[in-house]
Amino acid sequence: MWRVLSLLKPYRKWMGIAWFLMLIELIVELWQPLLMEKIINEGIIKNHFPVIWKWGAVMIIASLLAFAAGITNSFAAAYVGQQFGFDVRKRLFMKIQSCSLPQVEQFSTASLITRMTNDVTQMQNMVFMSLRIMLRAPLLIIFGMVMALIVQARLAFILVVIVPFLLLFLIWAMKKAAERFSRVQQALDRVNRIMRENMANMRLIKAFVRSTYEQQCFRNENETLMAQTMTVSRFVEAITPALLFFMNVAIVVILFIGRKEIPTGGVNAGEVVAVINYTTRMTAALSIFTFVTMVFSRARASGRRIAELLKMPTNTKEKTHHAMITRGELEFVHVSFRYPASESFVLRDVSFSVRENETVAILGETGAGKSSLLQLIPRLYEVTEGTIFIDGIDVRHWDEATLRASIGFVPQELLLFSGTIRENICFGRNVSEEEMIQAAKAAQIHDAIMSFPNQYDTIVGQKGVTLSGGQKQRIAIARALIRKPKLLLLDDCMSALDAKTEANVWRALKAYDCTTLIVTQKITTAIEADTILLFKDGKLLAKGTHQQLLNNELYRQIVQSQLGKKGMSYAPRTP
Amino acid sequence: MRHAHHRKVIKEKRPAKENIRTLKRIWAFLAEEKRRFLLVIGLVIVSSALSLLGPYLVGKAIDTIIAKTANGFMMIAGMLLVVYLALSLSLFWQNYWMIGIAQRTVSSLRLRLFEQFHQLPLAFFTRRQSGELMSRVTNDIDNMSQTFDSTAIQVVSSTLTLIGAIVVMLSLSPILTAVTLLIVPLLFGGMKWITNRTQPRFREQQQQLGDLNGFIEEVISGQKAIQLFAQEKEMIARFLQKNEQLKQAGFWAQAYSGFIPKLMNVLNNLSFALLAGIGGILAYEGMVSVGTIVIFTEYARQFIRPLNDLANQWNTLLSALAGAERVFAILDEQKEEEEEALDLPVIRGEVEFQHVSFSYDQAKEVLHNVDFSVKQGETVALVGPTGAGKTTILQLLTRFYDPTKGKILIDGHDILHIKRESLRRQMAFVLQDVFLFQGTIRENIRYGRLEATDEEVVEAAKQANAHSFIMKLPNGYDTMLQQDGGGISQGQKQLLAIARAMIARPAILILDEATSNVDTVTELAIQEALTRLMNNRTCFVIAHRLNTIQHADRILVLREGTVVEQGTHDSLLQAKGFYYELYHRQFQEVS
Repeated sequence: MWRVLSLLKPYRKWMGIAWFLMLIELIVELWQPLLMEKIINEGIIKNHFPVIWKWGAVMIIASLLAFAAGITNSFAAAYVGQQFGFDVRKRLFMKIQSCSLPQVEQFSTASLITRMTNDVTQMQNMVFMSLRIMLRAPLLIIFGMVMALIVQARLAFILVVIVPFLLLFLIWAMKKAAERFSRVQQALDRVNRIMRENMANMRLIKAFVRSTYEQQCFRNENETLMAQTMTVSRFVEAITPALLFFMNVAIVVILFIGRKEIPTGGVNAGEVVAVINYTTRMTAALSIFTFVTMVFSRARASGRRIAELLKMPTNTKEKTHHAMITRGELEFVHVSFRYPASESFVLRDVSFSVRENETVAILGETGAGKSSLLQLIPRLYEVTEGTIFIDGIDVRHWDEATLRASIGFVPQELLLFSGTIRENICFGRNVSEEEMIQAAKAAQIHDAIMSFPNQYDTIVGQKGVTLSGGQKQRIAIARALIRKPKLLLLDDCMSALDAKTEANVWRALKAYDCTTLIVTQKITTAIEADTILLFKDGKLLAKGTHQQLLNNELYRQIVQSQLGKKGMSYAPRTP
Repeated sequence: MRHAHHRKVIKEKRPAKENIRTLKRIWAFLAEEKRRFLLVIGLVIVSSALSLLGPYLVGKAIDTIIAKTANGFMMIAGMLLVVYLALSLSLFWQNYWMIGIAQRTVSSLRLRLFEQFHQLPLAFFTRRQSGELMSRVTNDIDNMSQTFDSTAIQVVSSTLTLIGAIVVMLSLSPILTAVTLLIVPLLFGGMKWITNRTQPRFREQQQQLGDLNGFIEEVISGQKAIQLFAQEKEMIARFLQKNEQLKQAGFWAQAYSGFIPKLMNVLNNLSFALLAGIGGILAYEGMVSVGTIVIFTEYARQFIRPLNDLANQWNTLLSALAGAERVFAILDEQKEEEEEALDLPVIRGEVEFQHVSFSYDQAKEVLHNVDFSVKQGETVALVGPTGAGKTTILQLLTRFYDPTKGKILIDGHDILHIKRESLRRQMAFVLQDVFLFQGTIRENIRYGRLEATDEEVVEAAKQANAHSFIMKLPNGYDTMLQQDGGGISQGQKQLLAIARAMIARPAILILDEATSNVDTVTELAIQEALTRLMNNRTCFVIAHRLNTIQHADRILVLREGTVVEQGTHDSLLQAKGFYYELYHRQFQEVS
């Protein structure tokens, strides 16, 4: 939690101001009973009007001062609280953006979202609270204690015994509650997860008529969340009656002492009344403490979850190579790879090299490691063993941003963002209208876009129109082409295109001056490539041209599955 | 100018009515717990009485000490202990029950919301960001949850104290009571000024929070694309903008609501000064006694404090209402209507499209006059260029959408009169985008038929050719899939989706690009299994790789929303029409 709270540093000045103003308010507040007493004793009872006017005016001025201080404090506290929340969310978001993919994938999306919104709100509440009332409780208690001791130490000593004990109890309770609150947040994560899955999969759920089943799953998690929240709320809310009871017992004890001491003249009745009065005030302050405890322990649980993200190491190693890719040569040297969370290797000892402007098709069984291989090139994941060279330089030495800027990648998943088609195609690139249209035309999506009412300004993604799978794939292709990449990586990204469209895309791609790696299932696509890499179980089984690979058993099977027997004699039309 | 002013007035008046309506709806939810709620109110009354009794007994005890009547003291001290214990216990139990009531209410509201999501038409979700909707279930409801625990008790006890104080004040001196009440208009004015400012901000805050939630959800889901295109900075910039808006809304909401206790404090002092001043004059005139004024000032404080509490609670409540409104907005969304629909008896799987036309948005027809019929056990392939309307036909068959013109019959029943659930229960699907849930592979396959045995799961996986890759995973069928089916390849996800459909044993099977990312050798094996399995079952297939569908009993060739040809692979090739063209292009695609 301290790690998160250290983000408050820039606002020390404002926090100081807020606390100072709170102090002014408090002093006025504590002074008020004395003023009232004066007005009553010296003014009203003695029927002395000037005193009433004088002290009345003082009181009103003082309370206006407190009002001004309070209002300013309200602004200062809101400023610090909101600014702090803003900063924490910003840090979290920037952290996630700077982490590698496997680091982010450790957490479920739902949990990341809860941490960035709900958990931050909890912390924010605590900061706001501490700037508004936190000082109040301890000051009221100290003040009450001191006054009680001044009035009559013999009566007040019981408070000296009981109050520290109660404070220790509060600290213990806060720790306990924090543990339980972290369970609440976890339950919230799970509720959020089911929600998210249901939102994304609603079509499937409806198709399989699984609404009742999903609702049952949700009901379970929802009940857990409810039970956890109830447990911790009841625990925290039980503190007040307990404290109240102890403080009330203290009052009875004070009465007993009074009874013993009054006859001997050690204590007088007025002192007993006064000390009891102060005890009551301290009790009220303690119940503020309970409230603070609740807010603090919840914030503590949230703070820990936020810190867990913030302390993730980011790769700060200075990259030596900042240039863009110039030639687009690629070489894999004994590359092996397994996903960080898994034990089995997806790629084993893969070596091959690709020349400038060469087109390479990657073929293989489902799950042979084809997509993983492509993802290693822009360093979405790091190789486990071996090295990948681009233009003769180890990819680990490239600056990620520049490396990726000259790679055009079309992933297999259809990832578009809420926004216009224009934004999705340009995706952060500052390009001219002509360049955008050129890329869209190459991807064979221009005509479809022009048929939408708003054309390139049509909103797509979660908030927009529903595009077909083929349309999404072509927008993703245009998004890659617009960067005029030196290295184009296509991950089975034309599966939803009909043959004619696909052929047109291929024809247009010829005009782009780049090295191309394409993962594909279609043998006709593979045949046209300069080289075919055939994968099985993460190993590079064979490499060569179509004719060379026909000797390979697996390759022959693939060809036969698509072209039948006659495929064996099939030759590319353009040599 | 006048116009603008007029509008402002309406804007300010609206919230009050809306608040009351929202509160009523929340009350309707709370009402399920009426008995417990009455119990809690009873306890609040008890504890209020006990907390008055305590100081009274303390006073009595001090009297006995001064009077030196030893016996009386012990009895009073004993009573005092009992009263204090009872007070703490009643406080504990009222909290305990109230938390139960509040949490059950909130939880049932959350469930109601979730259920509502399932009853909304699919079109609803295409307009919304899922993260924004999620925010309503978590942030908005959590906001309510944190408020309701304490609010009800506070409101009841404050109201009680308030009434008590007014009664006592009136009995002491109606004139001084009137003086004390002088501040009430000021109080209302001030509160109105504050809430007019806080409420729109609370609303905006919750809305911005939802917006931010939606943005974060989308960004994190698309993290791969962002990293690939080095768009981190751009995303951060967009995030900061939303973050800033949330901060602004939050700042003003928080700052203004902070005014309330300050205002109360000033009014408190003002009322004291008024009492002292006017009271002094009245005492001088002999209209009230000095003692009355002294006691009265004490009660005036008792009067202000609950008012302060009520004002604070009202404000917190407003913030919760901002969330509640967003929740109710979803509950008010038009459900997928289901009027006079029947259950579908067990079907053979005959499908007939009678002159079906359809458009998503009235503007452009996606299907024109589609007319065909399918016999039981037939495998029908839908073929055509991208955007020809293949997926739309399947969307109509499954009643995700209903035709604009024409009829669809299954076994002679018009599906418009059949319950969607009952219709879909006899179908199984492999959809274009494969969806998997976080859970084990076994659970994901079993999703097709929940009561399937472990053996049946394995059997289905074998038929889908998924068994061998599953066995290579460290935990086999018990391997946990990460969110969004992470950890396995796209092709493997498709195999699991096929296994899921196979286990369902439907009368009608629908495969929409089911094997597009699967290698063709595996695909052939799957097809063989399907042919065996789909014996007597009707099957609809969409595939771009035409070799996938060569063996279909019938091929429907679509072009721009119209069925242009139908027949078997061979007959269509002989016809040398559009299909012939499509087929031959496939082998010439790279030229």
